[in-house]
Amino acid sequence: METLLKPTLYATDGTLQGGRCTCGHVFFPMQGHGCEVCGRHGADLQPMVLKGRGKLLSSTVVHLHIDKARAAPFTIGKIALADGPVVRTLLVDPTREIEPGTAMVTALVPVGRSENGQTILDLRFAPET
Amino acid sequence: MARTLKDLRPVYVVGVGWHRYQNPSETPYVTLGVTAIRDALADARLDWPAVESAYVATALLGMASGRPMLRHLGATGIPLSHVENASASGSTAFRQACIEVASGLTDVSLAVGVDKRNPVRRDSTGMDNLAEDAIAQFTHFSLLTNEYAHRHKVSFEDIARVAVKNHRNGAKNKNAQRQQERTLEEVLGGKKVAGSLTALQCTPVGEGAAAAIVASEDGIKRLGLDTSRAIRVIGSTARSERVYAAGLGFDAVLTKETTTIALQEAQVSPQELDIIELHDAFTVEELHYIENIGLCPEGQGVHLLKEGTLDIGGRCAVNPSGGLIAMGHPIGPTGIGQIGEIALQLRGEAGARQHPKARTGLAHMVGVGAVCYVHLLQRP
Repeated sequence: METLLKPTLYATDGTLQGGRCTCGHVFFPMQGHGCEVCGRHGADLQPMVLKGRGKLLSSTVVHLHIDKARAAPFTIGKIALADGPVVRTLLVDPTREIEPGTAMVTALVPVGRSENGQTILDLRFAPET
Repeated sequence: MARTLKDLRPVYVVGVGWHRYQNPSETPYVTLGVTAIRDALADARLDWPAVESAYVATALLGMASGRPMLRHLGATGIPLSHVENASASGSTAFRQACIEVASGLTDVSLAVGVDKRNPVRRDSTGMDNLAEDAIAQFTHFSLLTNEYAHRHKVSFEDIARVAVKNHRNGAKNKNAQRQQERTLEEVLGGKKVAGSLTALQCTPVGEGAAAAIVASEDGIKRLGLDTSRAIRVIGSTARSERVYAAGLGFDAVLTKETTTIALQEAQVSPQELDIIELHDAFTVEELHYIENIGLCPEGQGVHLLKEGTLDIGGRCAVNPSGGLIAMGHPIGPTGIGQIGEIALQLRGEAGARQHPKARTGLAHMVGVGAVCYVHLLQRP
């Protein structure tokens, strides 16, 4: 059995839990505080499933990190999602920078095991194959 | 119609002072702060009771740190405010002091920045994120470095030359945290933190203090201050981040927006700038910002750097203090220290760092948020 590390942010099919304002602004993650473009809130902000694909803007291998729970090296990518928002998160390959412009897709990777023995999955990005 | 700083009463920087920026030590922040204020009072040839209000910039000292410091100058009962605005805390405090004098509410006001390297605490927004805990500031700027190098076909070696210049400037500054010249090999050879970024291309966050005293013409006259050393603040502009198109670097776009307004309001062109002190916490930032301030088109910054255009004695001295990379970035003091450096340069009192015939200077600061502050100073 598997479980997601952050189920409010993404689903098992690799999509992301974003939102859309009636003004048209698409954002990630879903939130109800208010739209960053127009300030509408409440029912004007609706959940929107964002496709787990996009284009790499930049990536970098992190050689040093203060938090020992995140052992370096790891790679951070900045990805412009096909649906609009730009996200920054970990890439699957911890040691390799990727050419800007590369098409990227989400992947769920095991990051640990829960108390009841389920594999915990977290979302990463990798080049589309 | 809203007015600009230039429409109000003229404001002048009349005194600047520092406690050296340094590696974290046992020195209490009170010692750092009062040292900088006394240095600024001595520079202005002014006594503390003449100061009518104080703005204390600090991001990392916690609540109400100002009064336990200021009381040791003599508790005169003046209004006291604390200003927190991340890296731009000092710039914000300076702006508030200028606004208060310009408005006529005071004739003499103080902005002082003081900080120690303490953990940053930011409360939850109630929104989760994918992996923000894995993205340190240097990682953010390493991403930008890689984007810049790729987009403009620039080498990492050339980007690192920013650090060589700024360490060279810092080596001549007694208030700088790093006072050692570094070769390009030394800069590139150091410990890598993320991507191509090495430790000597990153600001060393330490501790220290900086103070600036601003005064009106009435104040200068009444107190008998030296008008020949007073530097006018001809512009003060502040902005915060909007929603930009995917792929645009918000620090650079925000810098462009803020600087454009500041230069326009003060009727100064980028080519008239003799001195720029800007937020070079990481090497690539200096290139982004000089391009967005308008010294050259995007992607051309490296050429100016290699030609010596940005050196002391070049067309426009950028970060003659050593900048955040060499002078340091104790957070609260940094923006005020920039004002101090520009004041010294425009007075002709910068010693070994003096840029010839400096008349107009620009101070630029960005802070997490993001916010951006630009001040323009001119020798009358």
